[in-house]
Amino acid sequence: MAKKEDKSLPADELVKVNKWDGSAVKHALDDAVKTCLLGDRPQLKEQFGLVNARLALCALAVGVAVMAHAWDFTHPFPQSRPVLLLSVLAYFALMGVLTLHTTFREKGTFAVAVQKETGGKQQSVWEASSDMKKYDDKYLLTLTVKDAKGTREVSSSKSCAAFIDNNGIILDHLVANEVNRLYNSLSAEKKEK
Amino acid sequence: MGIASILQLDEMMGDFNRMNKRQSLYQVLSFAMIVSSALMIWKGLMVVTGSESPIVVVLSGSMEPAFHRGDLLFLTNYKEEPVRVGEIVVFKVEGRDIPIVHRVIKLHEKEDGTVKFLTKGDNNNVDDRGLYAPGQLWLTKKDIVGRARGFLPYVGIITIFMNEYPKVKWAILSILAIFVLLHRE
Repeated sequence: MAKKEDKSLPADELVKVNKWDGSAVKHALDDAVKTCLLGDRPQLKEQFGLVNARLALCALAVGVAVMAHAWDFTHPFPQSRPVLLLSVLAYFALMGVLTLHTTFREKGTFAVAVQKETGGKQQSVWEASSDMKKYDDKYLLTLTVKDAKGTREVSSSKSCAAFIDNNGIILDHLVANEVNRLYNSLSAEKKEK
Repeated sequence: MGIASILQLDEMMGDFNRMNKRQSLYQVLSFAMIVSSALMIWKGLMVVTGSESPIVVVLSGSMEPAFHRGDLLFLTNYKEEPVRVGEIVVFKVEGRDIPIVHRVIKLHEKEDGTVKFLTKGDNNNVDDRGLYAPGQLWLTKKDIVGRARGFLPYVGIITIFMNEYPKVKWAILSILAIFVLLHRE
Protein backbone atom coordinates (compact mmCIF):
# COMPACT_ATOMS: atom_id res chain seq x y z
CA MET A 1 0.00 0.00 0.00
CA ALA A 2 3.03 2.35 0.23
CA LYS A 3 2.77 4.98 -2.45
CA LYS A 4 5.61 7.10 -3.77
CA GLU A 5 4.59 10.59 -2.75
CA ASP A 6 6.11 13.85 -3.97
CA LYS A 7 7.21 16.57 -1.63
CA SER A 8 4.11 18.55 -2.59
CA LEU A 9 0.98 16.44 -2.54
CA PRO A 10 -2.11 17.28 -4.58
CA ALA A 11 -4.75 18.86 -2.37
CA ASP A 12 -6.98 15.80 -2.05
CA GLU A 13 -4.18 13.65 -0.62
CA LEU A 14 -3.39 15.98 2.28
CA VAL A 15 -3.94 14.39 5.66
CA LYS A 16 -6.20 16.31 8.00
CA VAL A 17 -6.66 15.45 11.66
CA ASN A 18 -8.55 16.82 14.59
CA LYS A 19 -5.69 18.75 16.18
CA TRP A 20 -7.20 18.45 19.65
CA ASP A 21 -7.40 14.64 19.57
CA GLY A 22 -4.02 13.49 20.91
CA SER A 23 -4.27 9.91 19.76
CA ALA A 24 -5.35 10.84 16.20
CA VAL A 25 -2.45 13.31 15.99
CA LYS A 26 0.05 10.67 17.11
CA HIS A 27 -1.25 8.12 14.60
CA ALA A 28 -1.20 10.65 11.77
CA LEU A 29 2.36 11.69 12.63
CA ASP A 30 3.44 8.02 12.81
CA ASP A 31 1.98 7.43 9.35
CA ALA A 32 3.73 10.52 7.98
CA VAL A 33 7.07 9.47 9.48
CA LYS A 34 6.72 5.98 8.03
CA THR A 35 5.90 7.33 4.57
CA CYS A 36 8.86 9.73 4.69
CA LEU A 37 11.25 7.07 5.95
CA LEU A 38 10.34 4.40 3.42
CA GLY A 39 9.15 6.53 0.52
CA ASP A 40 12.41 7.75 -0.99
CA ARG A 41 14.62 4.90 0.24
CA PRO A 42 14.05 1.79 -1.88
CA GLN A 43 16.84 0.02 -0.04
CA LEU A 44 14.62 -0.21 3.08
CA LYS A 45 12.14 -3.10 2.94
CA GLU A 46 9.32 -2.98 5.48
CA GLN A 47 9.02 -5.96 7.85
CA PHE A 48 5.76 -6.98 9.46
CA GLY A 49 6.91 -9.53 12.03
CA LEU A 50 5.85 -7.59 15.14
CA VAL A 51 2.47 -6.61 13.80
CA ASN A 52 1.82 -10.13 12.52
CA ALA A 53 2.63 -11.56 15.95
CA ARG A 54 0.12 -9.21 17.57
CA LEU A 55 -2.57 -10.04 15.00
CA ALA A 56 -1.94 -13.78 15.41
CA LEU A 57 -2.32 -13.54 19.22
CA CYS A 58 -5.60 -11.62 18.86
CA ALA A 59 -6.92 -14.08 16.29
CA LEU A 60 -5.99 -17.02 18.53
CA ALA A 61 -7.78 -15.50 21.53
CA VAL A 62 -10.91 -14.84 19.47
CA GLY A 63 -10.70 -18.39 18.10
CA VAL A 64 -10.62 -19.83 21.63
CA ALA A 65 -13.68 -17.76 22.58
CA VAL A 66 -15.64 -18.82 19.49
CA MET A 67 -14.76 -22.48 20.04
CA ALA A 68 -15.82 -22.29 23.70
CA HIS A 69 -19.13 -20.72 22.74
CA ALA A 70 -19.77 -23.32 20.02
CA TRP A 71 -18.91 -26.20 22.39
CA ASP A 72 -21.20 -24.84 25.09
CA PHE A 73 -23.97 -24.42 22.51
CA THR A 74 -23.75 -28.03 21.34
CA HIS A 75 -23.15 -29.57 24.80
CA PRO A 76 -25.50 -27.84 27.30
CA PHE A 77 -23.93 -26.45 30.41
CA PRO A 78 -23.14 -29.01 33.03
CA GLN A 79 -21.39 -31.31 30.51
CA SER A 80 -19.36 -28.48 29.01
CA ARG A 81 -17.91 -27.32 32.34
CA PRO A 82 -14.35 -28.69 31.93
CA VAL A 83 -14.03 -27.36 28.38
CA LEU A 84 -15.36 -23.97 29.47
CA LEU A 85 -12.96 -23.79 32.40
CA LEU A 86 -10.02 -24.57 30.12
CA SER A 87 -11.14 -22.04 27.51
CA VAL A 88 -11.62 -19.22 30.02
CA LEU A 89 -8.16 -19.82 31.50
CA ALA A 90 -6.60 -20.07 28.02
CA TYR A 91 -8.33 -16.89 26.87
CA PHE A 92 -7.15 -14.77 29.78
CA ALA A 93 -3.65 -16.27 29.53
CA LEU A 94 -3.54 -15.25 25.85
CA MET A 95 -4.72 -11.75 26.77
CA GLY A 96 -1.87 -11.60 29.27
CA VAL A 97 0.66 -12.66 26.63
CA LEU A 98 -0.78 -10.08 24.23
CA THR A 99 -0.42 -7.33 26.83
CA LEU A 100 3.18 -8.38 27.51
CA HIS A 101 3.89 -8.35 23.77
CA THR A 102 2.51 -4.85 23.21
CA THR A 103 4.06 -3.42 26.37
CA PHE A 104 7.54 -4.91 26.24
CA ARG A 105 8.23 -6.15 22.74
CA GLU A 106 6.39 -3.61 20.56
CA LYS A 107 6.76 -0.54 22.81
CA GLY A 108 5.44 2.13 20.47
CA THR A 109 7.24 0.78 17.38
CA PHE A 110 5.29 1.51 14.24
CA ALA A 111 7.80 0.76 11.49
CA VAL A 112 10.46 -1.90 11.07
CA ALA A 113 12.58 -2.06 7.92
CA VAL A 114 15.56 -4.07 6.77
CA GLN A 115 18.40 -2.64 4.71
CA LYS A 116 20.64 -5.04 2.85
CA GLU A 117 24.27 -3.96 2.56
CA THR A 118 25.31 -3.76 -1.10
CA GLY A 119 27.16 -6.88 -2.18
CA GLY A 120 27.37 -8.31 1.34
CA LYS A 121 25.39 -10.70 3.47
CA GLN A 122 25.06 -8.18 6.30
CA GLN A 123 21.86 -6.36 6.89
CA SER A 124 20.81 -3.65 9.27
CA VAL A 125 17.42 -3.40 10.92
CA TRP A 126 15.86 0.03 11.26
CA GLU A 127 13.06 0.63 13.80
CA ALA A 128 10.99 3.74 14.25
CA SER A 129 9.00 4.22 17.45
CA SER A 130 7.18 7.12 18.97
CA ASP A 131 5.66 8.20 22.23
CA MET A 132 3.26 10.96 23.04
CA LYS A 133 1.80 11.24 26.54
CA LYS A 134 -1.90 11.65 26.95
CA TYR A 135 -2.41 15.41 27.33
CA ASP A 136 1.11 16.41 26.34
CA ASP A 137 2.08 17.98 23.03
CA LYS A 138 5.62 16.59 22.90
CA TYR A 139 6.06 13.97 20.18
CA LEU A 140 9.11 11.83 20.97
CA LEU A 141 10.38 10.15 17.80
CA THR A 142 13.10 7.51 18.14
CA LEU A 143 15.01 5.90 15.28
CA THR A 144 17.14 2.82 16.05
CA VAL A 145 19.48 0.89 13.79
CA LYS A 146 20.81 -2.57 14.63
CA ASP A 147 23.64 -3.88 12.52
CA ALA A 148 26.80 -5.98 12.76
CA LYS A 149 28.48 -3.22 14.78
CA GLY A 150 25.75 -2.99 17.43
CA THR A 151 22.68 -0.94 18.18
CA ARG A 152 22.48 2.85 17.93
CA GLU A 153 19.56 5.13 18.46
CA VAL A 154 18.75 8.78 18.07
CA SER A 155 15.61 10.59 19.12
CA SER A 156 14.02 13.96 18.87
CA SER A 157 11.34 15.43 21.08
CA LYS A 158 9.40 18.22 19.48
CA SER A 159 5.98 19.65 20.00
CA CYS A 160 3.55 18.09 17.55
CA ALA A 161 2.66 21.66 16.60
CA ALA A 162 5.97 21.76 14.71
CA PHE A 163 4.51 19.44 12.07
CA ILE A 164 0.83 20.44 11.90
CA ASP A 165 -0.64 23.68 10.69
CA ASN A 166 -3.52 25.61 12.20
CA ASN A 167 -6.18 23.66 10.32
CA GLY A 168 -4.88 20.26 11.40
CA ILE A 169 -3.14 19.43 8.13
CA ILE A 170 0.08 17.44 8.48
CA LEU A 171 2.96 19.21 6.75
CA ASP A 172 4.91 16.37 5.17
CA HIS A 173 7.95 18.41 4.17
CA LEU A 174 8.55 19.36 7.82
CA VAL A 175 8.18 15.73 8.88
CA ALA A 176 10.52 14.66 6.07
CA ASN A 177 13.15 17.18 7.22
CA GLU A 178 13.12 15.71 10.72
CA VAL A 179 13.16 12.09 9.51
CA ASN A 180 15.99 12.76 7.06
CA ARG A 181 18.00 14.52 9.75
CA LEU A 182 17.69 11.54 12.12
CA TYR A 183 18.32 8.96 9.37
CA ASN A 184 21.38 10.74 8.05
CA SER A 185 22.87 11.15 11.52
CA LEU A 186 22.59 7.39 12.09
CA SER A 187 23.86 6.52 8.58
CA ALA A 188 26.82 8.85 9.00
CA GLU A 189 27.73 7.16 12.27
CA LYS A 190 27.58 3.81 10.49
CA LYS A 191 30.03 4.92 7.82
CA GLU A 192 32.44 6.37 10.40
CA LYS A 193 32.69 3.10 12.35
CA MET B 1 -23.41 19.11 8.15
CA GLY B 2 -23.31 20.81 11.54
CA ILE B 3 -23.66 17.66 13.62
CA ALA B 4 -21.20 15.72 11.46
CA SER B 5 -18.49 18.32 11.91
CA ILE B 6 -19.16 18.59 15.65
CA LEU B 7 -18.72 14.84 16.05
CA GLN B 8 -15.63 15.05 13.83
CA LEU B 9 -17.05 12.33 11.62
CA ASP B 10 -15.09 13.45 8.56
CA GLU B 11 -11.77 13.22 10.42
CA MET B 12 -12.75 9.79 11.70
CA MET B 13 -13.64 8.68 8.18
CA GLY B 14 -10.31 10.11 7.00
CA ASP B 15 -8.55 8.07 9.68
CA PHE B 16 -10.47 4.99 8.52
CA ASN B 17 -9.73 5.50 4.81
CA ARG B 18 -6.02 5.77 5.49
CA MET B 19 -5.85 2.41 7.26
CA ASN B 20 -3.96 -0.33 5.48
CA LYS B 21 -5.00 -4.01 5.42
CA ARG B 22 -3.24 -4.93 8.66
CA GLN B 23 -4.66 -1.92 10.49
CA SER B 24 -8.20 -2.76 9.32
CA LEU B 25 -7.73 -6.37 10.41
CA TYR B 26 -6.58 -5.13 13.81
CA GLN B 27 -9.70 -2.95 14.16
CA VAL B 28 -11.95 -5.93 13.42
CA LEU B 29 -9.99 -8.14 15.83
CA SER B 30 -10.17 -5.46 18.56
CA PHE B 31 -13.94 -5.38 18.23
CA ALA B 32 -14.05 -9.21 18.25
CA MET B 33 -11.88 -9.23 21.39
CA ILE B 34 -14.24 -6.88 23.22
CA VAL B 35 -17.15 -9.19 22.42
CA SER B 36 -15.08 -12.27 23.28
CA SER B 37 -13.99 -10.82 26.61
CA ALA B 38 -17.61 -10.20 27.62
CA LEU B 39 -18.49 -13.75 26.52
CA MET B 40 -15.56 -15.28 28.42
CA ILE B 41 -16.42 -13.38 31.60
CA TRP B 42 -19.97 -14.74 31.37
CA LYS B 43 -18.72 -18.30 30.78
CA GLY B 44 -16.26 -17.85 33.64
CA LEU B 45 -19.14 -16.88 35.95
CA MET B 46 -21.04 -19.95 34.76
CA VAL B 47 -18.11 -22.18 35.71
CA VAL B 48 -17.53 -20.50 39.10
CA THR B 49 -21.17 -20.50 40.22
CA GLY B 50 -22.16 -23.81 38.62
CA SER B 51 -25.31 -22.21 37.22
CA GLU B 52 -26.15 -21.94 33.53
CA SER B 53 -27.42 -18.40 34.08
CA PRO B 54 -25.53 -16.83 36.99
CA ILE B 55 -27.24 -13.43 36.74
CA VAL B 56 -31.00 -13.07 36.09
CA VAL B 57 -33.47 -10.20 36.07
CA VAL B 58 -36.75 -10.46 38.02
CA LEU B 59 -39.48 -10.13 35.41
CA SER B 60 -42.67 -10.01 37.46
CA GLY B 61 -43.96 -8.76 40.78
CA SER B 62 -44.78 -12.23 42.11
CA MET B 63 -42.09 -12.03 44.83
CA GLU B 64 -42.94 -8.63 46.27
CA PRO B 65 -42.06 -7.19 48.73
CA ALA B 66 -38.77 -9.15 48.65
CA PHE B 67 -37.96 -8.63 44.96
CA HIS B 68 -39.44 -6.19 42.49
CA ARG B 69 -39.59 -6.20 38.70
CA GLY B 70 -36.20 -5.07 37.41
CA ASP B 71 -34.05 -6.35 40.27
CA LEU B 72 -30.85 -8.19 39.38
CA LEU B 73 -30.27 -11.56 41.11
CA PHE B 74 -26.97 -13.43 41.59
CA LEU B 75 -27.32 -17.20 41.63
CA THR B 76 -25.25 -20.22 42.57
CA ASN B 77 -25.98 -23.87 41.90
CA TYR B 78 -23.56 -25.93 43.99
CA LYS B 79 -24.23 -29.65 44.28
CA GLU B 80 -22.88 -29.68 47.86
CA GLU B 81 -25.51 -27.18 49.05
CA PRO B 82 -28.91 -28.81 48.63
CA VAL B 83 -32.00 -26.66 48.23
CA ARG B 84 -34.14 -26.40 51.38
CA VAL B 85 -37.68 -25.22 52.05
CA GLY B 86 -37.93 -21.45 52.42
CA GLU B 87 -35.13 -20.71 49.96
CA ILE B 88 -35.66 -18.63 46.86
CA VAL B 89 -34.84 -20.47 43.66
CA VAL B 90 -34.85 -19.64 39.96
CA PHE B 91 -36.22 -22.37 37.73
CA LYS B 92 -37.16 -22.90 34.11
CA VAL B 93 -40.19 -24.93 33.12
CA GLU B 94 -39.41 -27.54 30.48
CA GLY B 95 -40.16 -26.17 27.02
CA ARG B 96 -40.17 -22.52 28.12
CA ASP B 97 -37.18 -20.20 28.23
CA ILE B 98 -38.33 -17.72 30.84
CA PRO B 99 -36.67 -18.02 34.27
CA ILE B 100 -39.11 -17.83 37.20
CA VAL B 101 -38.03 -16.61 40.65
CA HIS B 102 -40.13 -18.15 43.47
CA ARG B 103 -39.79 -19.68 46.94
CA VAL B 104 -39.68 -23.42 47.75
CA ILE B 105 -42.63 -24.35 50.01
CA LYS B 106 -42.59 -28.16 49.97
CA LEU B 107 -39.86 -30.71 49.42
CA HIS B 108 -39.72 -34.52 49.23
CA GLU B 109 -36.37 -36.28 49.44
CA LYS B 110 -35.63 -39.97 48.81
CA GLU B 111 -32.80 -41.94 50.32
CA ASP B 112 -30.88 -42.02 47.03
CA GLY B 113 -30.79 -38.21 47.03
CA THR B 114 -33.45 -37.42 44.41
CA VAL B 115 -35.61 -34.49 45.42
CA LYS B 116 -38.83 -32.92 44.22
CA PHE B 117 -39.96 -29.38 45.07
CA LEU B 118 -43.11 -27.33 45.01
CA THR B 119 -42.73 -23.56 44.64
CA LYS B 120 -44.92 -20.51 45.09
CA GLY B 121 -44.44 -16.79 44.60
CA ASP B 122 -44.72 -14.79 47.85
CA ASN B 123 -47.16 -12.38 46.21
CA ASN B 124 -49.29 -15.09 44.54
CA ASN B 125 -52.37 -16.72 46.05
CA VAL B 126 -51.78 -20.20 44.62
CA ASP B 127 -48.77 -22.44 44.22
CA ASP B 128 -46.94 -22.85 40.92
CA ARG B 129 -48.60 -26.08 39.72
CA GLY B 130 -50.47 -23.94 37.17
CA LEU B 131 -47.11 -22.82 35.73
CA TYR B 132 -45.50 -26.24 35.43
CA ALA B 133 -45.72 -28.33 32.25
CA PRO B 134 -49.03 -30.16 31.70
CA GLY B 135 -49.08 -33.23 33.96
CA GLN B 136 -46.08 -32.03 36.01
CA LEU B 137 -46.78 -31.67 39.73
CA TRP B 138 -43.26 -31.25 41.10
CA LEU B 139 -39.97 -29.67 40.06
CA THR B 140 -36.75 -31.68 40.03
CA LYS B 141 -33.10 -30.72 40.45
CA LYS B 142 -32.54 -30.34 36.71
CA ASP B 143 -35.24 -27.66 36.42
CA ILE B 144 -33.43 -25.46 38.93
CA VAL B 145 -31.13 -22.80 37.48
CA GLY B 146 -29.83 -21.75 40.89
CA ARG B 147 -30.49 -20.34 44.34
CA ALA B 148 -30.61 -16.60 44.90
CA ARG B 149 -27.57 -15.42 46.86
CA GLY B 150 -27.56 -11.66 46.41
CA PHE B 151 -29.33 -8.92 44.53
CA LEU B 152 -29.02 -5.40 43.11
CA PRO B 153 -32.21 -3.35 42.96
CA TYR B 154 -33.45 -1.60 39.78
CA VAL B 155 -30.35 -2.36 37.65
CA GLY B 156 -32.20 -4.90 35.50
CA ILE B 157 -34.76 -2.37 34.24
CA ILE B 158 -32.42 -1.67 31.30
CA THR B 159 -32.57 -5.33 30.24
CA ILE B 160 -36.36 -5.36 30.45
CA PHE B 161 -36.49 -2.14 28.41
CA MET B 162 -34.13 -3.51 25.75
CA ASN B 163 -36.17 -6.69 25.43
CA GLU B 164 -39.43 -4.80 25.05
CA TYR B 165 -37.96 -2.46 22.41
CA PRO B 166 -35.48 -4.62 20.49
CA LYS B 167 -34.96 -1.93 17.82
CA VAL B 168 -33.48 0.40 20.45
CA LYS B 169 -31.12 -2.38 21.55
CA TRP B 170 -29.90 -3.03 17.99
CA ALA B 171 -29.55 0.71 17.28
CA ILE B 172 -27.38 1.31 20.36
CA LEU B 173 -25.25 -1.80 19.73
CA SER B 174 -24.73 -0.87 16.07
CA ILE B 175 -23.62 2.66 16.91
CA LEU B 176 -21.17 1.34 19.52
CA ALA B 177 -19.85 -1.25 17.05
CA ILE B 178 -19.28 1.38 14.35
CA PHE B 179 -17.40 3.65 16.75
CA VAL B 180 -15.14 0.82 17.93
CA LEU B 181 -14.44 -0.34 14.36
CA LEU B 182 -13.60 3.11 13.03
CA HIS B 183 -11.66 4.67 15.92
CA ARG B 184 -7.96 3.86 15.93
CA GLU B 185 -6.93 2.66 19.39
